[in-house]
Amino acid sequence: MTRGSTGNDKPNAVISKSAFNIVAIAIEAIVKMLSKRELARYERQILIPGWSKAGQEKLKKAKVLVAGAGGLGSAILTYLAVAGVGRIKIIDGDKVELSNLNRQVLHSDKDIGRNKVDSAKEKLEALNPHISVEAVKATIDENNVFDLVGDYLIVDAMDNLPARFLLNQVAVKKNLPLFHGAVYGFEGRATTVIPGKTACLRCLYQGVIPGKIPVVGVTPAVIGCIQATEVIKYILGIGELLTDRLLIYDGISMKFSEVRLKKDPNCCECK
Amino acid sequence: MDVTIKISSLFRKYTDGQEFVKVTGNNPMECLHELEARFPKMKRWLYDKQGNLRPQVWFFVNGQKISADDLTKPLNNGDELFFVLAISGG
Repeated sequence: MTRGSTGNDKPNAVISKSAFNIVAIAIEAIVKMLSKRELARYERQILIPGWSKAGQEKLKKAKVLVAGAGGLGSAILTYLAVAGVGRIKIIDGDKVELSNLNRQVLHSDKDIGRNKVDSAKEKLEALNPHISVEAVKATIDENNVFDLVGDYLIVDAMDNLPARFLLNQVAVKKNLPLFHGAVYGFEGRATTVIPGKTACLRCLYQGVIPGKIPVVGVTPAVIGCIQATEVIKYILGIGELLTDRLLIYDGISMKFSEVRLKKDPNCCECK
Repeated sequence: MDVTIKISSLFRKYTDGQEFVKVTGNNPMECLHELEARFPKMKRWLYDKQGNLRPQVWFFVNGQKISADDLTKPLNNGDELFFVLAISGG
């Protein structure tokens, strides 16, 4: 027996633990439960076959990391937020610049000079007060990427290949899905990586076009919406994912085409 | 072999806007060489300063990605060769 303890320590500890569990379960149930206001907000999507109230609850419980609050990130974050993804983490180390505003629609003139993550969080919380948005101002590197990702689904909205490779590495190591998109001018690409099953980014990329990237805002909007669609389908467990397929959007011809990918048996990341 | 090369939007400024170009060649590399001969400005995107094919060029035959080792493997009459540049804008 230790100082200050009573003879009832053990039974009390058991009761306390049980009580704690009951409270924890109740809190979880409340968190999962959709309010009347939320049900009204999501009414139209709940009508979609395969979605239902249970699907909406899955979205509310989901945790999604969006790496990059730029052109792709603006579209992805907007549509994940309004769809009701319950916990969204945004990572970006940049500040808003004037030259971002042709495509990064989460930010506006008054945000110039602010951290992109703060600007994005403010807009998303205004769009949907029922979700939790965590803003992390950080530049992804090999020292922080593992902890930053945690156990969140990963959406790759980056603008450089080294950061994309780091996200891919963590996705493979932690067996987390990765939703990839990339743009250049009027052209965009998207694919979904399910580690252990599909080609990963390292199976695909050995380099990219160097130099400053030309882009018009509609391109990341199109590709970002495709990435967000993939995330929503993944969480709900409906439809066919863009796995082992690369979707190519050609805004100039206004054509979508698709090519098949396969795992590289010599891939340095996922073999 | 008669092969159709599909030109991605990023390259079409070098092919006078053509989306499809018909060439003859026994394998993807031969087809690519014929295309370069007709549209030489394309070469700087395909090769580095040492004349090596850039790794950021992806090749697809009939919609399936192929590796660099497959570039000298035979094609069939009527095959479609598609190549695109890897991009990374966000």
